[in-house]
Amino acid sequence: MGFLVTSLIFAVIGVITCFCTLICCNRGASTNLFHLTLIITATICCWMMWAIVYLAQMKPLIVPILNDSE
Amino acid sequence: MGDTRGGCCPSMDLFRSEPMQLVQLIIPIESAHRTISYLGDLGLLQFKDLNADKSPFQRTYAAQIKRCGEMARKLNFFKEQILRAGLSSKSSVSQVDINIDDLEVKLGELEAELVEINANSEKLQRSYNELLEYKLVLQKAGEFFIAAQSSAVEQQREFESRQTGGDSIEVPLLLEQESLVDQSKPVNLGFLSGLVPREKSMAFERILFRATRGNVFLKQTAVEDPVADPISGEKVEKNVFIVFYSGERAKNKILKICEAFGANRYPFTEDVGKQAQMIAEVSGKLSELKTTIDIGLLHRGNLLQTIGEHFENWNLLARKEKSIYHILNMLSLDVTKKCLVAEGWGPVFATKQIQDALQRAASDSNSQVGPIFQVLLTTEAPPTYFRTNKFSSAFQEIVDAYGVARYQEANPGVYTIVTFPFLFAVMFGDWGHGICLLLATLYFILREKKLSSQKLGDITEMAFGGRYVILMMSLFSIYTGLIYNEFFSVPFGLFGRSAYACRSPDCSDSTTVGLLKVGSTYPFGLDPVWHGTRSELPFLNSLKMKMSILLGVAQMNLGIIISYFNATFFRNSINIWFQFLPQMIFLNSLFGYLSLLIIIKWCTGSNADLYHVMIYMFLGPTEDLAENQLFPGQKNVQIVLLLLALVAVPWMLLPKPFLLKRQHEQRFQGQSYAPLPSGDDSLELDSHHDSHGHEEFEFSEIFVHQLIHTIEFVLGAVSNTASYLRLWALSLAHSELSSVFYDKVLVLSAGFNNIIILIVGIIVFIFATVGVLLLMETLSAFLHALRLHWVEFQNKFYEGDGYKFHPFSFALLDEDDD
Repeated sequence: MGFLVTSLIFAVIGVITCFCTLICCNRGASTNLFHLTLIITATICCWMMWAIVYLAQMKPLIVPILNDSE
Repeated sequence: MGDTRGGCCPSMDLFRSEPMQLVQLIIPIESAHRTISYLGDLGLLQFKDLNADKSPFQRTYAAQIKRCGEMARKLNFFKEQILRAGLSSKSSVSQVDINIDDLEVKLGELEAELVEINANSEKLQRSYNELLEYKLVLQKAGEFFIAAQSSAVEQQREFESRQTGGDSIEVPLLLEQESLVDQSKPVNLGFLSGLVPREKSMAFERILFRATRGNVFLKQTAVEDPVADPISGEKVEKNVFIVFYSGERAKNKILKICEAFGANRYPFTEDVGKQAQMIAEVSGKLSELKTTIDIGLLHRGNLLQTIGEHFENWNLLARKEKSIYHILNMLSLDVTKKCLVAEGWGPVFATKQIQDALQRAASDSNSQVGPIFQVLLTTEAPPTYFRTNKFSSAFQEIVDAYGVARYQEANPGVYTIVTFPFLFAVMFGDWGHGICLLLATLYFILREKKLSSQKLGDITEMAFGGRYVILMMSLFSIYTGLIYNEFFSVPFGLFGRSAYACRSPDCSDSTTVGLLKVGSTYPFGLDPVWHGTRSELPFLNSLKMKMSILLGVAQMNLGIIISYFNATFFRNSINIWFQFLPQMIFLNSLFGYLSLLIIIKWCTGSNADLYHVMIYMFLGPTEDLAENQLFPGQKNVQIVLLLLALVAVPWMLLPKPFLLKRQHEQRFQGQSYAPLPSGDDSLELDSHHDSHGHEEFEFSEIFVHQLIHTIEFVLGAVSNTASYLRLWALSLAHSELSSVFYDKVLVLSAGFNNIIILIVGIIVFIFATVGVLLLMETLSAFLHALRLHWVEFQNKFYEGDGYKFHPFSFALLDEDDD
């Protein structure tokens, strides 16, 4: 799975969650906007975290060197 | 101000504080009490004190407040008595409606009854204790007398036998005389008996001896069980004493000494028959008193029981009443003395509810005139009121702890709900620990109803209040734990196979040159192969450091973007063009560029040294980058960015003060040529007051303020970015600590192949994990996340100089009083 595919999965999950909250707890425009903001912020945070770790491992400059004891 | 909303989208909950309005209520005096009571039930109006210059005694309802205070005192007295009697004041189910006047009378009666019962039972108890002591004296001293008598009889017999047997010439003649004198002496001896506290008995004896120069005979016997002292009612260890003396003077001295030592004296007779009689008499009296006391106690218990059943109701009623009069005292009396005028802040959305409450109060109290409700216009800053629920309130508390938002200012609380637990989790990434936290907080959440009514300890209370914060923190740390691939520091290959393999079939060089990346990158999180390798630390350091910078730059950008929302909301175009824009450019041309370089470096796998690139971007922007070039045209891009950053600084500093000055001058000019105000005095006063507010424009002050702000931002861009490196440091510390506990305790103890050592190891591991990682590390990660939000995030946009909305509400009474 490449970077873009997983990013897309994150986006899809975010969108689905947004729709779920819109359908399940629809409490007026301003509250919905609040919920969406929370979900979008959370999705972006999670995606960033994943993306950073993924990108850092794509073209490694340092490779794992096993310990002698093992 | 509520209608000056900017933007196209619907307003967001919690992002702006509720629009408020200053309202004036004119309430007929006969319905005032009921009106305030209904408003207290509603709890959406913050009354202003219109009598701030009056002392509490000068106010209209001072007498009523005093009455309520008296009632509170009585209730406190009852509570004390109930507690002392060991009863619990459980609230009764039946909510009996009771008038406050009836309650006052009832409380008075009950108090008088209780006081009388207490006085009587105290008196009875005292005489009971006295009798008890008397009985003790009778018994002990009686024993002593009997013993003394028997020995005396023996002596007498011996003496007599000697006298009769030795009727010879050898017997000295004087002896008879002596013995005669001897026998006559006891007639003059008097004695006193009583009880003295044991700890004073030595001193008592010594003083007696000295005061009478040794002419006393003191006999003491210890009483085995502690005796209740009649005066203090406490249990004291005592000695029964009996003193023999001769002469009236000695008696007086002894009496005084007894008084000084708190020794209770009791009459005593020598006659054995009389003693027995008295003992019987005292015992009879004792049992009689005992029954009387028991009946009294039972009666008192019943009385307290009934009080206890109603106590909560009464207490609530009394406190409500007191708070109502307290509010009524804040209202000003109309000139006609028929109306009370109230002013207060209320949210705009509650207008209808407040009016309803006013109408209901007027109709319920059969008032002929309805209350008047009107909105006042004011330049005063309204209070800040966020409608939070049990989930968002804890996060809002986090923000409020730094400073309450200015009225209608963008609330960082919205983003804090996600970013706070997220940054916490970056430092606390371990899904094993995350699950532990989750279980702990789920316990709180599931037993929420039960726990919220209980009194908890300080620390438990804090954890309980922040249960939803901890819930979010634990969920995010499970996520980041999966990313870091750590479960109590142990990696799991949950998401596929490792991307690395040996270079050669025999894996000979895996410990020297290392493994080779053969497959595709590990899809989710950190490759499990890194755990325990020699290059783990350098790799993780580089990764986490860069991650901290990326996350930090992202969050700081979010902060600056929120300042844009603030500027559009308050229609402040100066802040958009001369604060938001240059700040954005400055931050992103330096640290945004650094973030970009980091990402490019990762994507291309280039060997370029980013430190070198960043440092020489300032020192020698025109120099050749050589092997540090990451993309073509980098040199030109860097020169442009550097110039942009340099331009952004004066852009931030200079125009804003000049523009503000011009704005002020324009407004001032416009005002000076305004048409003369009409004859209305108050209007003139108002406008005069208004213009006075604008006259205080001091250019130098504004300029210095802007200078400080600019310097703060420019230096802050560097130091704040560096400050985000704490994410790296703490997450590293966490993972290293947990791997030490795992390797050096659990794995080591398992290596001994000894069940006892293993159990000890497991216990030590659990305690270390709970104590150090789950408690201390949680606390430190919490504090660092807090700092990142308060300082690095909020200083980009948050003023935080508002004041909180404190409505008059009966629901909040409990919190205020305790």
